[in-house]
Amino acid sequence: MTDPTLIRNFSIIAHIDHGKSTLADRVLQLTHTIEDRDMVEQVLDSMDIERERGITIKAQAVRVLYTADDGVEYTLNLIDTPGHVDFTYEVSRSLQACEGALLVVDATQGVEAQTVANAIMAMNAHLEIIPLINKIDLPSADAERVRHEIEEALAIPADEAVLASGKTGEGVRDALEAVVRLVPHPVGDPHAPLKALIFDSYFDAYRGVIALIRVVDGHINAGMRVSLMAAGTAIDVEEVGVRRPVHVPVDRLGVGEVGYLVTGLKDTSLVKVGDTVTLAKHGATEPLPGYREVKPMVYTGLFPIDGDQYPELRDALDKLRLNDPSVIYEPESSHALGFGFRCGFLGLLHMEIIKERLEREFDLDLLATAPSVEYHVYTTNGEMISIHSPQDMPDPGTVDHIEEPYLKVTILVPPEFVGAIMELTELHRSTFVNMQYLSATTVEMHYEMPLSELIMDFFDQLKSRTRGYASLDYEVTGYRTSKLVKLDVLLAGKPVDALSFIVHKDKAFARGKMLTEKLRGIIPRQMFEVPIQAAIGGKIIARETVRAMRKDVIAKCYGGDISRKRKLLEKQKKGKKRMKQVGTIEVPQEAFMAILKVDD
Amino acid sequence: MTDPVGIAPLPAVAADPVSLYVHVPFCISKCAYCDFYSRAGGEALRGPFVDAALFEAGHWSHYDLLDDVPSLYIGGGTPTLLGQDLVRLVRGLIETARLRPGAEVTVETNPETTDAALVAALIEAGVNRFSLGVQSFDDDVLRRLGRCHDAERGRAATRILRDSGASFSIDLICGVRGQSAASWEATLQEAVRCGARHVSVYPLAVEDGTPLDASIRSGVVPAPDPDDAADMMLAAEVVLTAAGMPRYEVASYAQPGHEARHNLVYWTGGSYLGVGPHAASMLTAEQYGRVAGAEGWATPPSSDPLCARARFTREASLEDYVRRPLADPGPVEFLDTDEVAREDATLGLRTVGGISTAQAEAAQAVETLAGLAEQGLVRVVESETGEARWSTTQQGWLLGNRVFEAVWTGGGTQRS
Repeated sequence: MTDPTLIRNFSIIAHIDHGKSTLADRVLQLTHTIEDRDMVEQVLDSMDIERERGITIKAQAVRVLYTADDGVEYTLNLIDTPGHVDFTYEVSRSLQACEGALLVVDATQGVEAQTVANAIMAMNAHLEIIPLINKIDLPSADAERVRHEIEEALAIPADEAVLASGKTGEGVRDALEAVVRLVPHPVGDPHAPLKALIFDSYFDAYRGVIALIRVVDGHINAGMRVSLMAAGTAIDVEEVGVRRPVHVPVDRLGVGEVGYLVTGLKDTSLVKVGDTVTLAKHGATEPLPGYREVKPMVYTGLFPIDGDQYPELRDALDKLRLNDPSVIYEPESSHALGFGFRCGFLGLLHMEIIKERLEREFDLDLLATAPSVEYHVYTTNGEMISIHSPQDMPDPGTVDHIEEPYLKVTILVPPEFVGAIMELTELHRSTFVNMQYLSATTVEMHYEMPLSELIMDFFDQLKSRTRGYASLDYEVTGYRTSKLVKLDVLLAGKPVDALSFIVHKDKAFARGKMLTEKLRGIIPRQMFEVPIQAAIGGKIIARETVRAMRKDVIAKCYGGDISRKRKLLEKQKKGKKRMKQVGTIEVPQEAFMAILKVDD
Repeated sequence: MTDPVGIAPLPAVAADPVSLYVHVPFCISKCAYCDFYSRAGGEALRGPFVDAALFEAGHWSHYDLLDDVPSLYIGGGTPTLLGQDLVRLVRGLIETARLRPGAEVTVETNPETTDAALVAALIEAGVNRFSLGVQSFDDDVLRRLGRCHDAERGRAATRILRDSGASFSIDLICGVRGQSAASWEATLQEAVRCGARHVSVYPLAVEDGTPLDASIRSGVVPAPDPDDAADMMLAAEVVLTAAGMPRYEVASYAQPGHEARHNLVYWTGGSYLGVGPHAASMLTAEQYGRVAGAEGWATPPSSDPLCARARFTREASLEDYVRRPLADPGPVEFLDTDEVAREDATLGLRTVGGISTAQAEAAQAVETLAGLAEQGLVRVVESETGEARWSTTQQGWLLGNRVFEAVWTGGGTQRS
C-alpha cells in the first residue's frame, strides 16, 4: 500500500481534439512508464477506432511514479476519460475517482463547449482544476487570449496556467509539478469498512470482467469476499493490482489507491460504472453518492444486409456488450429488412462507433435505420408506453398525447455566427433561453431542444454553418408533450416499415415532401416504375416517382471487349449486393438514413 | 417487330479453326467517345507497322494456327488510312494465312479515307466486305461526336462502296445528347437506302478515360439519356426490320446471309488470334499450349486441369510493337470449363438465336433463366428444327445487362 500523502489522483479533461491523449503519452514517457522505443501514439487509446478517430471511448487508468523537484517520489494515478458528450456519466464517475484535473485548452482554439462542460463537471466533483494551455508550439497559438477566456468563461484563475506542448513535450514536467503541488492527496479512513468506486470495467477473455476502482476507505485484497452494492452481487476477489499500463498484481489496494480488480464474473452488466464495492459482511451501509443506471438516448435498428448473418450479428452484439454494457439490444423484425436488433446507445457517436466495431471486428455488413429517441406515449386509457421505434407507435386513435425527451443545449460560438445559430436552431424546434458573452471572441448560447431534433443531422449542420467554430454540449432535462405524428413511406404502394419516422405535426408535410424527393434521387431506376409516397395515418401527403429503367445494355462486345465488359458486369453485381432487397425493389443503404439529411 | 420464333440458330463456328484479327492503330484524329487503341497521325510508323504485323502473322502460322482461317478482319483505328500499305498488308496476310474457301475478309474504313481506287485495289487483293463508320447522316450529331467528316462525306463513301459491288456494313450511333428523334429517323432512312446489307446500331457509351467521359465528369456536357437511347434502339429495329434487315444480335442487323461471320466467332466461343498492338486473342487450351510451350509464356496453373481456354492481349505501345512484334502477352486469362460454359451462354444470349437448353444446363443457368423469364427478359422459343432454345426478348435487348450479368455471375437474379 502506498502512503496516501504521496498519492495524487488526477485526470486530464479537454474538448475533443485539444490534445489530451498526446499529452498523456508525454507523461508516460517522462516518467519512464513506457520507454521511448515501446511508444506508440495515444497509448491509452487501445482500440484502433480510438486511434483513427483521435477520440477516447474507454476510460483508462495508469499509475506512474514521478520524482518531483522536492526529491520525493510520488505515485500519480492518471485517469484518462472519454472525450465526448455521449459519455458524460462515465466521465463524471472517472472524475469522482480523482482529487484534481488538468484542464487542457488548445492555444489556437480557446475555450469550447466541452471545455466548459468538463470544467463544470470537475468543479461539481470538487476537483482542484489546473489549467493547461496546450499546443503552444503552433504559430497561431495565442496563450494570452486563451488565458483570458479561461478566466472569463470559467472563472478559474489562469495567470499560473501551465504552458505546454504535447507534441514537443515542453511544459509537461511543469504540469506534473503543478499536480504534485496543487492537487490534494486523497483522504480516507483506513480502518473503516471498504468503500471503493467502480469507474469502468472491461472484459478479458481469460479472466472475465475486470473493474477499474478507486479505494475511498479501508482496503481490498485478493481472497476477500466483497459485494457490489447497486448490482447486489457478491464476489470473491481473485486479484487486485495496478496498471502501468500492463497489469501488475499487488497485495492490497489501500486508501486513495487506484487499480484493477479481477472479479471472476462473466457478465459485464453486473459490474456497473458508479457502483460501490464493499465488504460482503459488515460492509459499508451507505454507497458512494452519484450512482445511476445508464439509459440509452438514441435507438436504431441494425439489420444484416445478408439475412443469413442474423445469428452472427446476435453473437457479435453479445460479445461487444461484454466490453460495453451500455449497449442494449432486443430482437426486432421488419417486413422490409427481415430480422435484426433494436439497439440503444448513449448518443450518436456511440452508435456510430458500435456499428463500425460490429462491422470491422466481426466482419458484418450492417444496415442501420434512422435513429430515434424514446417517446412516452400516453394512451386514452391512461397507460404510458415507452417506444423506441416508430414501428411500435400505437394506432393514432388510441393515443392521448406523446412526450419526447428535451435537452438543455449549450453552444459556444464566435459572435459573428450568432445569426447562423439562430437560424439553425429555429429549424430544429428550439427555444432560445439566453446568451452571454464569455469574452470578445466567444458567445455562450442556451437553448431548449427536443433530442429528436439534435439527432437530425444537427451537429453536422452546426459545424458547416459556423465553419467548424461552434461547439456543442447538452444534457437531458426531461420529457415534454409535443404534437407528434408517425410518417410512413410507401414504395410501390407498400409501406416500408423501416422508413417510418416520428415527426412534429407542423413539420410533417415539408419533411415528407423533402424525403420523397431525396429518395427519388437515391433509389436507382428499377425495371418497373416505383412510386414513392409519404403518408400520415393512411393519407398521402407527398409523392414522387422513380421512372422505370428502360435501357441498360453493353451494346458493343467484340474480341477485345469481352474480358473488360465481363468485369463491368461483375462490378455492377457487387454494387447491387450492397443494396437491400425490399420486396422487388433494390434499395441502397443510404435511403434508410435519408431522413436525417432532410433539412427544411 | 421481329419475332424470334422460327429464326434458325446462327451457324455455329467450330471451335478449332482460328480466325484472324489485325488491329491497325492509326486514325486521322481521335473521336471524343472512342477508347480503342489508336494514334492520330503516326505517318512514319505506318510502313513499319505493316512489316511488323506481317512478321507477327507469319510467326503464328508456324504453330499451324492459321491453316483454315474462316474469317480475316482488319479493324482499327482506320485501316484505310494506310492506303497502299493496307493493300500490301492484305496481300501479305492472305499469303501467310490459309483462308478457308469463301472466307469472310473484312476491312474497316471511315468516310474520309474511303477512296474508290483503294477500295478496288483491296477487293482485287481479296477483301469481300467493308465496315464503314458512318455514325450519322446529321452534321450536328457528327460534330457532337467529334467526328472529322460531315454527312456528305459519309454519303459519298457509301456510294463508293455500293458501286464497288462488295458487301458492306455501316455503324450508327444513337442516344447522343442533342440528337432528335427526327434526326435519328432520317439517319435510319438513309441507312436503309444507301446499299448497306448490314447495320450496327450502338447507343453512345461513355467509356472510362475518353474525352467524352472527362467532359461529362466536369459537367461540360450532360451524360447520354438512357431513355432516348431506348427509344432510338426501338426505332432502329422497326425501320431496319421493315427494310429487310432484321436484328440478329443486340446491336447488329443484316439481310439474311450478310451477318458478320467474324463477329459471330466472338459470340459463339470460336478461337481468334489478334495481331497488332492491343489486339485480343482467345485460343483453346490445346492451341494455347502449343504456343506457350515454345514461347515460354505463362501456363495455366497446374491446379486447374480443367482449363479450357486462354485469352490474352498484348498491351505493347505502337512503338514497342514495331520494334518487337513478338513480345510476351500481358496477363493471360485462363477459363475453366464452367467459366467457358457461362461465358458462351452469356454471349450466346446476345444473339437472336439464343442458346440451347443443353447450353443453359451446362452453364448452370436454367434457374437463372427462369427468373429472367419471369421478368420478361428471356423466353423459350422453338427453333426451325423444333429445338427449344432460350432467347432474349424485346425488353431483354434494352436491359441486356440484367441478362448478361445474371447468367455470367451465376444466378442471383432478383426473382419477384
